Amino acid sequence: MQDRPTSIELLEAAADFVDRELVPTIEGARQFQARVVANVMRIVAREIKMEDPLVRSEVKALARVLGQDAPHLHSLDDLHAVAVSMGEELTGKIRAGEADGGDWRREVLAVVRQSVEDKLRIANPRYLESDIAIRNAAKTK
Amino acid sequence: MEKLEPNEMVQRLTDFIRMQGDFDSVAIENFRKMPGGASREIWSFECAMQRDGETSRRAMVLRRDPGAHNISTNRRHEFLVIRAAFEEGIPVPEVFWVSEDPAVLGSAFFLMERIDGETLARRLLRDDTYARAREVMPAQLAEILAKIHRIDPVEHKLDFLAEPGDNAALTEVKRYEENFRRLALEPHPAFELAFRWLLERVPKTPRKTLVHGDYRIGNVIFGPEGVRSILDWELAHRGDPMEDVGWMCVRAWRFGNDKKPVGGLGTREDFFRAYEKASGAAVDPEAARFWEVFGNLRWGIITISQARTHIDGFVKSVELASIGRRTAETELELLNLIE
Repeated sequence: MQDRPTSIELLEAAADFVDRELVPTIEGARQFQARVVANVMRIVAREIKMEDPLVRSEVKALARVLGQDAPHLHSLDDLHAVAVSMGEELTGKIRAGEADGGDWRREVLAVVRQSVEDKLRIANPRYLESDIAIRNAAKTK
Repeated sequence: MEKLEPNEMVQRLTDFIRMQGDFDSVAIENFRKMPGGASREIWSFECAMQRDGETSRRAMVLRRDPGAHNISTNRRHEFLVIRAAFEEGIPVPEVFWVSEDPAVLGSAFFLMERIDGETLARRLLRDDTYARAREVMPAQLAEILAKIHRIDPVEHKLDFLAEPGDNAALTEVKRYEENFRRLALEPHPAFELAFRWLLERVPKTPRKTLVHGDYRIGNVIFGPEGVRSILDWELAHRGDPMEDVGWMCVRAWRFGNDKKPVGGLGTREDFFRAYEKASGAAVDPEAARFWEVFGNLRWGIITISQARTHIDGFVKSVELASIGRRTAETELELLNLIE
Protein backbone atom coordinates (compact mmCIF):
# COMPACT_ATOMS: atom_id res chain seq x y z
CA MET A 1 0.00 0.00 0.00
CA GLN A 2 1.00 3.62 -0.53
CA ASP A 3 1.79 6.36 1.95
CA ARG A 4 -0.30 9.55 2.27
CA PRO A 5 -1.28 11.59 0.42
CA THR A 6 -3.89 9.34 -1.18
CA SER A 7 -4.34 9.22 -4.93
CA ILE A 8 -7.37 11.48 -4.55
CA GLU A 9 -5.40 14.02 -2.51
CA LEU A 10 -2.63 14.01 -5.13
CA LEU A 11 -5.06 14.62 -7.98
CA GLU A 12 -6.84 17.38 -6.11
CA ALA A 13 -3.50 19.06 -5.32
CA ALA A 14 -2.51 18.92 -8.98
CA ALA A 15 -5.90 20.19 -10.16
CA ASP A 16 -5.81 23.05 -7.65
CA PHE A 17 -2.37 24.12 -8.90
CA VAL A 18 -3.58 24.14 -12.51
CA ASP A 19 -6.75 26.08 -11.71
CA ARG A 20 -5.27 28.61 -9.30
CA GLU A 21 -1.68 29.09 -10.46
CA LEU A 22 -1.59 28.15 -14.12
CA VAL A 23 -4.93 29.07 -15.71
CA PRO A 24 -4.83 32.76 -14.67
CA THR A 25 -1.39 33.18 -16.28
CA ILE A 26 -2.14 31.90 -19.78
CA GLU A 27 -4.58 32.84 -22.51
CA GLY A 28 -6.58 31.57 -25.41
CA ALA A 29 -6.49 27.96 -26.55
CA ARG A 30 -3.84 26.93 -24.01
CA GLN A 31 -5.85 28.34 -21.13
CA PHE A 32 -8.81 26.33 -22.35
CA GLN A 33 -6.68 23.15 -22.52
CA ALA A 34 -5.36 23.82 -19.00
CA ARG A 35 -8.91 24.04 -17.66
CA VAL A 36 -9.64 20.73 -19.39
CA VAL A 37 -6.61 19.21 -17.64
CA ALA A 38 -7.82 20.32 -14.19
CA ASN A 39 -11.30 19.03 -14.95
CA VAL A 40 -9.93 15.66 -16.08
CA MET A 41 -8.00 15.32 -12.81
CA ARG A 42 -11.16 16.01 -10.80
CA ILE A 43 -13.08 13.45 -12.86
CA VAL A 44 -10.46 10.81 -12.12
CA ALA A 45 -10.51 11.69 -8.40
CA ARG A 46 -14.29 11.23 -8.30
CA GLU A 47 -13.97 7.98 -10.19
CA ILE A 48 -11.45 6.59 -7.71
CA LYS A 49 -13.76 7.61 -4.90
CA MET A 50 -17.07 6.42 -6.29
CA GLU A 51 -16.68 3.89 -9.11
CA ASP A 52 -16.63 0.70 -7.02
CA PRO A 53 -20.02 1.08 -5.30
CA LEU A 54 -21.57 2.51 -8.48
CA VAL A 55 -20.55 -0.44 -10.65
CA ARG A 56 -21.73 -2.86 -7.97
CA SER A 57 -25.20 -1.33 -7.90
CA GLU A 58 -25.27 -1.13 -11.71
CA VAL A 59 -24.54 -4.86 -12.01
CA LYS A 60 -27.30 -5.61 -9.47
CA ALA A 61 -29.78 -3.43 -11.36
CA LEU A 62 -28.87 -4.95 -14.73
CA ALA A 63 -29.20 -8.45 -13.32
CA ARG A 64 -32.65 -7.58 -11.97
CA VAL A 65 -33.91 -6.11 -15.22
CA LEU A 66 -32.54 -9.10 -17.17
CA GLY A 67 -34.16 -11.52 -14.74
CA GLN A 68 -30.83 -13.00 -13.63
CA ASP A 69 -29.12 -13.59 -10.31
CA ALA A 70 -26.60 -10.93 -9.36
CA PRO A 71 -23.11 -12.44 -9.47
CA HIS A 72 -20.92 -12.15 -6.37
CA LEU A 73 -17.72 -10.52 -7.53
CA HIS A 74 -14.97 -8.73 -5.73
CA SER A 75 -12.57 -7.12 -8.16
CA LEU A 76 -13.51 -3.95 -10.03
CA ASP A 77 -12.20 -5.46 -13.27
CA ASP A 78 -14.54 -8.45 -12.93
CA LEU A 79 -17.42 -6.12 -12.16
CA HIS A 80 -16.66 -4.04 -15.24
CA ALA A 81 -16.56 -7.12 -17.44
CA VAL A 82 -19.94 -8.28 -16.16
CA ALA A 83 -21.44 -4.79 -16.52
CA VAL A 84 -20.31 -4.78 -20.15
CA SER A 85 -21.66 -8.23 -21.00
CA MET A 86 -24.96 -7.52 -19.27
CA GLY A 87 -25.10 -4.15 -21.01
CA GLU A 88 -24.67 -5.94 -24.35
CA GLU A 89 -27.46 -8.36 -23.45
CA LEU A 90 -29.72 -5.45 -22.59
CA THR A 91 -28.93 -3.57 -25.79
CA GLY A 92 -29.62 -6.76 -27.79
CA LYS A 93 -33.11 -6.94 -26.30
CA ILE A 94 -33.74 -3.23 -26.89
CA ARG A 95 -32.68 -3.63 -30.54
CA ALA A 96 -35.06 -6.57 -30.86
CA GLY A 97 -37.91 -4.28 -29.80
CA GLU A 98 -38.52 -5.88 -26.40
CA ALA A 99 -38.43 -2.51 -24.62
CA ASP A 100 -40.67 -0.68 -27.10
CA GLY A 101 -43.62 -0.72 -24.70
CA GLY A 102 -45.20 -2.32 -21.65
CA ASP A 103 -44.03 -2.80 -18.09
CA TRP A 104 -40.58 -3.93 -19.01
CA ARG A 105 -39.99 -0.66 -20.87
CA ARG A 106 -40.54 1.25 -17.61
CA GLU A 107 -38.02 -0.96 -15.80
CA VAL A 108 -35.48 -0.57 -18.59
CA LEU A 109 -35.86 3.23 -18.67
CA ALA A 110 -35.33 3.37 -14.90
CA VAL A 111 -32.18 1.21 -15.00
CA VAL A 112 -30.72 3.06 -17.98
CA ARG A 113 -31.43 6.45 -16.43
CA GLN A 114 -29.76 5.36 -13.19
CA SER A 115 -26.62 4.22 -14.98
CA VAL A 116 -26.43 7.43 -17.05
CA GLU A 117 -26.84 9.51 -13.88
CA ASP A 118 -24.07 7.44 -12.27
CA LYS A 119 -21.78 8.28 -15.20
CA LEU A 120 -22.54 11.97 -14.65
CA ARG A 121 -21.92 11.77 -10.90
CA ILE A 122 -18.34 11.11 -11.89
CA ALA A 123 -18.02 13.01 -15.17
CA ASN A 124 -20.06 16.16 -14.45
CA PRO A 125 -22.05 16.26 -11.18
CA ARG A 126 -23.03 19.90 -11.69
CA TYR A 127 -24.67 19.07 -15.02
CA LEU A 128 -26.70 16.34 -13.30
CA GLU A 129 -27.74 18.63 -10.44
CA SER A 130 -28.84 21.33 -12.83
CA ASP A 131 -30.77 18.83 -14.94
CA ILE A 132 -32.58 17.46 -11.89
CA ALA A 133 -33.43 21.03 -10.80
CA ILE A 134 -34.87 21.89 -14.23
CA ARG A 135 -36.95 18.72 -14.34
CA ASN A 136 -38.27 19.30 -10.83
CA ALA A 137 -39.17 22.88 -11.71
CA ALA A 138 -41.02 21.66 -14.81
CA LYS A 139 -42.96 19.12 -12.74
CA THR A 140 -44.23 21.67 -10.23
CA LYS A 141 -45.60 23.95 -12.97
CA MET B 1 1.82 16.62 -48.89
CA GLU B 2 4.99 18.72 -48.98
CA LYS B 3 5.33 20.92 -45.95
CA LEU B 4 5.36 24.55 -47.00
CA GLU B 5 6.75 27.31 -44.82
CA PRO B 6 4.48 30.35 -44.47
CA ASN B 7 6.69 32.56 -46.64
CA GLU B 8 6.64 29.90 -49.38
CA MET B 9 2.84 29.77 -49.05
CA VAL B 10 2.68 33.56 -49.38
CA GLN B 11 4.82 33.46 -52.52
CA ARG B 12 2.69 30.79 -54.18
CA LEU B 13 -0.55 32.42 -53.10
CA THR B 14 0.61 35.76 -54.52
CA ASP B 15 1.28 34.12 -57.89
CA PHE B 16 -1.99 32.21 -57.77
CA ILE B 17 -4.10 35.31 -57.04
CA ARG B 18 -2.29 37.35 -59.67
CA MET B 19 -3.03 34.75 -62.32
CA GLN B 20 -6.61 34.02 -61.24
CA GLY B 21 -7.58 37.68 -61.12
CA ASP B 22 -5.38 38.78 -64.02
CA PHE B 23 -3.77 41.44 -61.84
CA ASP B 24 -0.61 43.35 -62.62
CA SER B 25 0.64 42.84 -59.09
CA VAL B 26 -0.49 41.35 -55.79
CA ALA B 27 0.85 41.95 -52.30
CA ILE B 28 -0.04 39.82 -49.28
CA GLU B 29 0.44 41.18 -45.79
CA ASN B 30 0.05 39.88 -42.27
CA PHE B 31 -0.33 36.21 -43.28
CA ARG B 32 -1.18 34.33 -40.08
CA LYS B 33 -2.71 31.05 -39.02
CA MET B 34 -6.03 31.11 -37.19
CA PRO B 35 -7.31 28.43 -34.82
CA GLY B 36 -9.18 25.97 -36.97
CA GLY B 37 -8.94 22.54 -35.44
CA ALA B 38 -7.43 19.31 -36.70
CA SER B 39 -9.57 18.82 -39.79
CA ARG B 40 -9.06 22.21 -41.43
CA GLU B 41 -6.50 24.96 -41.78
CA ILE B 42 -7.50 28.60 -41.76
CA TRP B 43 -5.11 31.43 -42.58
CA SER B 44 -5.88 35.13 -42.57
CA PHE B 45 -4.24 37.93 -44.56
CA GLU B 46 -4.66 41.30 -46.21
CA CYS B 47 -4.44 41.33 -49.98
CA ALA B 48 -3.67 44.34 -52.19
CA MET B 49 -4.39 43.74 -55.86
CA GLN B 50 -3.38 46.14 -58.58
CA ARG B 51 -4.67 46.33 -62.14
CA ASP B 52 -4.27 49.23 -64.58
CA GLY B 53 -3.07 51.56 -61.86
CA GLU B 54 -6.05 50.82 -59.57
CA THR B 55 -5.47 49.04 -56.28
CA SER B 56 -8.15 47.15 -54.39
CA ARG B 57 -7.68 45.74 -50.91
CA ARG B 58 -9.54 42.87 -49.29
CA ALA B 59 -9.21 41.09 -45.99
CA MET B 60 -9.14 37.40 -46.91
CA VAL B 61 -9.23 33.92 -45.47
CA LEU B 62 -7.51 30.87 -46.93
CA ARG B 63 -9.24 27.59 -46.13
CA ARG B 64 -6.96 24.64 -46.87
CA ASP B 65 -7.15 20.89 -46.29
CA PRO B 66 -4.42 19.66 -43.95
CA GLY B 67 -2.22 17.14 -45.71
CA ALA B 68 -2.08 14.22 -43.32
CA HIS B 69 -5.77 13.68 -42.76
CA ASN B 70 -8.31 11.73 -44.72
CA ILE B 71 -10.62 14.60 -45.56
CA SER B 72 -14.15 13.43 -46.20
CA THR B 73 -15.61 16.70 -47.47
CA ASN B 74 -14.77 18.51 -50.68
CA ARG B 75 -13.42 22.08 -50.76
CA ARG B 76 -14.73 22.80 -54.24
CA HIS B 77 -18.21 21.68 -53.24
CA GLU B 78 -18.09 23.85 -50.15
CA PHE B 79 -16.91 26.80 -52.29
CA LEU B 80 -19.84 26.37 -54.69
CA VAL B 81 -22.41 26.09 -51.90
CA ILE B 82 -21.14 29.27 -50.21
CA ARG B 83 -21.23 31.05 -53.56
CA ALA B 84 -24.84 29.95 -54.08
CA ALA B 85 -25.72 31.26 -50.62
CA PHE B 86 -23.97 34.57 -51.37
CA GLU B 87 -25.91 34.94 -54.61
CA GLU B 88 -29.16 34.44 -52.68
CA GLY B 89 -28.38 37.29 -50.30
CA ILE B 90 -27.53 35.09 -47.33
CA PRO B 91 -24.90 36.60 -45.00
CA VAL B 92 -21.82 34.57 -45.93
CA PRO B 93 -18.31 35.51 -47.01
CA GLU B 94 -17.84 36.35 -50.67
CA VAL B 95 -15.80 33.51 -52.15
CA PHE B 96 -13.08 34.31 -54.68
CA TRP B 97 -11.12 31.34 -56.02
CA VAL B 98 -10.84 27.62 -55.44
CA SER B 99 -8.15 25.14 -56.44
CA GLU B 100 -7.86 21.38 -56.21
CA ASP B 101 -4.38 21.38 -57.75
CA PRO B 102 -1.91 20.16 -55.09
CA ALA B 103 0.91 21.87 -56.98
CA VAL B 104 -0.25 25.26 -55.68
CA LEU B 105 -0.42 24.88 -51.90
CA GLY B 106 -0.08 21.15 -51.35
CA SER B 107 -3.79 20.39 -50.99
CA ALA B 108 -7.19 21.69 -52.04
CA PHE B 109 -8.04 25.20 -50.85
CA PHE B 110 -10.23 28.21 -51.46
CA LEU B 111 -10.07 31.92 -50.74
CA MET B 112 -12.86 34.02 -49.35
CA GLU B 113 -13.58 37.38 -47.77
CA ARG B 114 -12.70 37.67 -44.09
CA ILE B 115 -15.61 38.72 -41.91
CA ASP B 116 -14.63 40.03 -38.51
CA GLY B 117 -16.60 39.33 -35.37
CA GLU B 118 -17.08 36.84 -32.60
CA THR B 119 -18.02 33.14 -32.72
CA LEU B 120 -17.84 32.00 -29.10
CA ALA B 121 -21.20 31.06 -27.61
CA ARG B 122 -19.93 31.73 -24.10
CA ARG B 123 -19.38 35.40 -24.99
CA LEU B 124 -22.70 35.70 -26.79
CA LEU B 125 -24.58 34.35 -23.79
CA ARG B 126 -22.74 36.20 -21.02
CA ASP B 127 -21.22 39.49 -22.19
CA ASP B 128 -23.26 42.70 -21.86
CA THR B 129 -21.82 43.73 -25.24
CA TYR B 130 -24.09 41.15 -26.87
CA ALA B 131 -27.35 41.90 -25.01
CA ARG B 132 -28.94 43.25 -28.19
CA ALA B 133 -27.52 40.42 -30.27
CA ARG B 134 -29.13 37.91 -27.88
CA GLU B 135 -32.52 39.50 -28.47
CA VAL B 136 -32.41 39.67 -32.24
CA MET B 137 -30.44 36.60 -33.22
CA PRO B 138 -33.12 33.89 -32.82
CA ALA B 139 -35.37 35.61 -35.36
CA GLN B 140 -32.41 36.48 -37.60
CA LEU B 141 -31.23 32.88 -37.57
CA ALA B 142 -34.75 31.66 -38.39
CA GLU B 143 -35.04 34.07 -41.33
CA ILE B 144 -31.60 33.19 -42.66
CA LEU B 145 -32.39 29.49 -42.36
CA ALA B 146 -35.58 29.97 -44.35
CA LYS B 147 -33.47 31.62 -47.10
CA ILE B 148 -30.99 28.76 -47.05
CA HIS B 149 -33.83 26.33 -47.58
CA ARG B 150 -34.89 28.31 -50.65
CA ILE B 151 -31.54 27.85 -52.43
CA ASP B 152 -32.31 25.87 -55.58
CA PRO B 153 -29.54 23.27 -56.09
CA VAL B 154 -30.50 22.88 -59.75
CA GLU B 155 -30.38 26.60 -60.50
CA HIS B 156 -26.98 26.89 -58.80
CA LYS B 157 -25.62 23.74 -60.46
CA LEU B 158 -24.97 21.97 -57.17
CA ASP B 159 -25.45 18.58 -58.81
CA PHE B 160 -22.77 16.97 -56.62
CA LEU B 161 -25.36 17.04 -53.83
CA ALA B 162 -27.06 13.65 -53.79
CA GLU B 163 -30.77 13.54 -54.52
CA PRO B 164 -32.55 12.55 -51.30
CA GLY B 165 -35.13 9.80 -51.52
CA ASP B 166 -38.62 10.18 -50.12
CA ASN B 167 -37.19 9.00 -46.87
CA ALA B 168 -34.29 11.30 -46.13
CA ALA B 169 -34.97 10.84 -42.42
CA LEU B 170 -34.63 7.05 -42.48
CA THR B 171 -31.43 7.31 -44.52
CA GLU B 172 -29.91 9.68 -41.99
CA VAL B 173 -30.90 7.56 -38.98
CA LYS B 174 -29.43 4.43 -40.54
CA ARG B 175 -26.24 6.26 -41.50
CA TYR B 176 -25.69 7.40 -37.92
CA GLU B 177 -26.57 3.98 -36.57
CA GLU B 178 -23.83 2.50 -38.74
CA ASN B 179 -21.36 5.08 -37.43
CA PHE B 180 -22.40 4.37 -33.85
CA ARG B 181 -21.96 0.61 -34.17
CA ARG B 182 -18.54 1.10 -35.70
CA LEU B 183 -17.31 3.61 -33.12
CA ALA B 184 -18.74 2.70 -29.71
CA LEU B 185 -16.38 0.75 -27.46
CA GLU B 186 -19.02 -0.05 -24.82
CA PRO B 187 -22.80 -0.62 -24.76
CA HIS B 188 -25.01 2.50 -24.81
CA PRO B 189 -28.57 1.39 -24.02
CA ALA B 190 -29.73 5.02 -23.95
CA PHE B 191 -28.71 5.38 -27.61
CA GLU B 192 -30.39 2.09 -28.48
CA LEU B 193 -33.65 3.34 -26.94
CA ALA B 194 -33.32 6.59 -28.90
CA PHE B 195 -32.75 4.71 -32.19
CA ARG B 196 -35.89 2.63 -31.57
CA TRP B 197 -37.87 5.81 -30.79
CA LEU B 198 -36.69 7.43 -34.01
CA LEU B 199 -37.32 4.38 -36.18
CA GLU B 200 -40.93 4.30 -34.95
CA ARG B 201 -41.49 7.95 -35.85
CA VAL B 202 -39.72 8.52 -39.13
CA PRO B 203 -41.43 11.48 -40.81
CA LYS B 204 -41.92 11.51 -44.54
CA THR B 205 -39.97 14.22 -46.28
CA PRO B 206 -42.62 16.59 -47.63
CA ARG B 207 -40.11 19.29 -48.49
CA LYS B 208 -36.72 18.47 -49.92
CA THR B 209 -34.34 21.38 -49.82
CA LEU B 210 -30.73 22.28 -49.38
CA VAL B 211 -29.85 21.57 -45.75
CA HIS B 212 -26.93 23.40 -44.11
CA GLY B 213 -26.06 20.39 -41.98
CA ASP B 214 -24.33 22.16 -39.09
CA TYR B 215 -26.47 25.25 -38.48
CA ARG B 216 -25.89 26.32 -34.88
CA ILE B 217 -24.34 28.84 -32.53
CA GLY B 218 -20.64 28.14 -32.91
CA ASN B 219 -20.88 28.37 -36.70
CA VAL B 220 -22.11 31.95 -36.75
CA ILE B 221 -19.97 35.09 -36.77
CA PHE B 222 -21.81 37.79 -34.84
CA GLY B 223 -21.31 41.28 -33.50
CA PRO B 224 -23.13 43.42 -30.93
CA GLU B 225 -25.77 44.11 -33.59
CA GLY B 226 -26.41 40.42 -34.37
CA VAL B 227 -25.57 37.89 -37.10
CA ARG B 228 -22.78 38.78 -39.52
CA SER B 229 -21.99 35.51 -41.29
CA ILE B 230 -22.91 31.83 -41.47
CA LEU B 231 -19.93 29.48 -41.53
CA ASP B 232 -18.99 25.85 -42.08
CA TRP B 233 -20.94 24.76 -45.12
CA GLU B 234 -18.98 21.54 -45.66
CA LEU B 235 -21.82 19.30 -44.44
CA ALA B 236 -24.42 20.85 -46.74
CA HIS B 237 -26.60 18.24 -48.40
CA ARG B 238 -30.12 17.77 -49.73
CA GLY B 239 -32.82 16.53 -47.40
CA ASP B 240 -35.48 17.51 -44.93
CA PRO B 241 -35.11 21.18 -43.86
CA MET B 242 -36.48 20.26 -40.43
CA GLU B 243 -33.13 18.60 -39.83
CA ASP B 244 -31.56 22.10 -39.54
CA VAL B 245 -34.43 23.26 -37.30
CA GLY B 246 -33.91 20.28 -34.96
CA TRP B 247 -30.12 20.77 -34.85
CA MET B 248 -30.63 24.34 -33.57
CA CYS B 249 -32.56 22.87 -30.60
CA VAL B 250 -29.88 20.36 -29.54
CA ARG B 251 -29.05 20.77 -25.87
CA ALA B 252 -25.28 21.01 -26.34
CA TRP B 253 -25.63 24.39 -28.11
CA ARG B 254 -27.39 25.95 -25.11
CA PHE B 255 -23.97 26.08 -23.42
CA GLY B 256 -25.56 25.76 -20.00
CA ASN B 257 -28.44 28.18 -20.59
CA ASP B 258 -30.98 25.37 -20.50
CA LYS B 259 -33.98 27.62 -19.94
CA LYS B 260 -33.68 28.79 -23.54
CA PRO B 261 -33.70 25.65 -25.68
CA VAL B 262 -32.69 27.27 -28.98
CA GLY B 263 -29.00 28.06 -28.73
CA GLY B 264 -29.41 29.31 -25.17
CA LEU B 265 -31.20 32.34 -26.67
CA GLY B 266 -34.91 31.65 -27.06
CA THR B 267 -37.84 29.28 -27.07
CA ARG B 268 -38.70 26.67 -29.67
CA GLU B 269 -42.07 28.32 -30.27
CA ASP B 270 -40.55 31.72 -31.10
CA PHE B 271 -37.98 30.12 -33.38
CA PHE B 272 -40.56 28.00 -35.22
CA ARG B 273 -42.93 30.98 -35.66
CA ALA B 274 -40.14 33.14 -37.07
CA TYR B 275 -39.12 30.35 -39.44
CA GLU B 276 -42.74 29.83 -40.55
CA LYS B 277 -43.19 33.53 -41.17
CA ALA B 278 -40.02 33.76 -43.23
CA SER B 279 -40.44 30.52 -45.16
CA GLY B 280 -44.20 30.31 -45.65
CA ALA B 281 -43.94 26.66 -44.62
CA ALA B 282 -45.46 25.24 -41.45
CA VAL B 283 -43.22 23.64 -38.86
CA ASP B 284 -44.78 20.32 -37.87
CA PRO B 285 -43.96 20.09 -34.14
CA GLU B 286 -43.66 16.30 -34.32
CA ALA B 287 -41.20 16.47 -37.18
CA ALA B 288 -39.23 19.16 -35.34
CA ARG B 289 -39.13 16.92 -32.25
CA PHE B 290 -37.99 13.95 -34.32
CA TRP B 291 -35.10 16.00 -35.70
CA GLU B 292 -34.26 17.41 -32.25
CA VAL B 293 -33.99 13.89 -30.83
CA PHE B 294 -32.01 12.86 -33.91
CA GLY B 295 -29.74 15.89 -33.46
CA ASN B 296 -28.97 15.01 -29.86
CA LEU B 297 -28.23 11.42 -30.86
CA ARG B 298 -25.99 12.64 -33.70
CA TRP B 299 -24.10 14.88 -31.28
CA GLY B 300 -23.69 11.98 -28.83
CA ILE B 301 -22.17 9.86 -31.59
CA ILE B 302 -19.85 12.74 -32.49
CA THR B 303 -18.60 12.81 -28.88
CA ILE B 304 -17.77 9.11 -29.14
CA SER B 305 -16.06 9.69 -32.48
CA GLN B 306 -13.93 12.54 -31.10
CA ALA B 307 -12.82 10.44 -28.14
CA ARG B 308 -11.92 7.62 -30.55
CA THR B 309 -9.71 10.02 -32.49
CA HIS B 310 -7.57 10.36 -29.36
CA ILE B 311 -7.90 6.76 -28.16
CA ASP B 312 -6.87 5.39 -31.56
CA GLY B 313 -3.89 7.74 -31.67
CA PHE B 314 -4.87 9.83 -34.72
CA VAL B 315 -4.75 13.08 -32.77
CA LYS B 316 -3.44 13.01 -29.21
CA SER B 317 -5.39 15.60 -27.28
CA VAL B 318 -6.57 15.80 -23.69
CA GLU B 319 -9.52 17.81 -24.94
CA LEU B 320 -10.61 15.09 -27.38
CA ALA B 321 -10.09 12.43 -24.74
CA SER B 322 -12.22 14.28 -22.17
CA ILE B 323 -15.08 14.67 -24.66
CA GLY B 324 -15.60 10.91 -24.33
CA ARG B 325 -16.85 11.55 -20.80
CA ARG B 326 -19.46 13.99 -22.09
CA THR B 327 -21.43 11.37 -24.00
CA ALA B 328 -23.44 10.77 -20.80
CA GLU B 329 -24.76 14.38 -20.94
CA THR B 330 -26.39 13.63 -24.27
CA GLU B 331 -27.69 10.28 -23.07
CA LEU B 332 -29.45 12.06 -20.22
CA GLU B 333 -31.03 14.56 -22.62
CA LEU B 334 -32.21 11.74 -24.89
CA LEU B 335 -33.87 9.95 -21.98
CA ASN B 336 -35.57 13.23 -21.01
CA LEU B 337 -36.87 13.68 -24.57
CA ILE B 338 -38.13 10.15 -25.26
CA GLU B 339 -39.57 9.14 -21.89
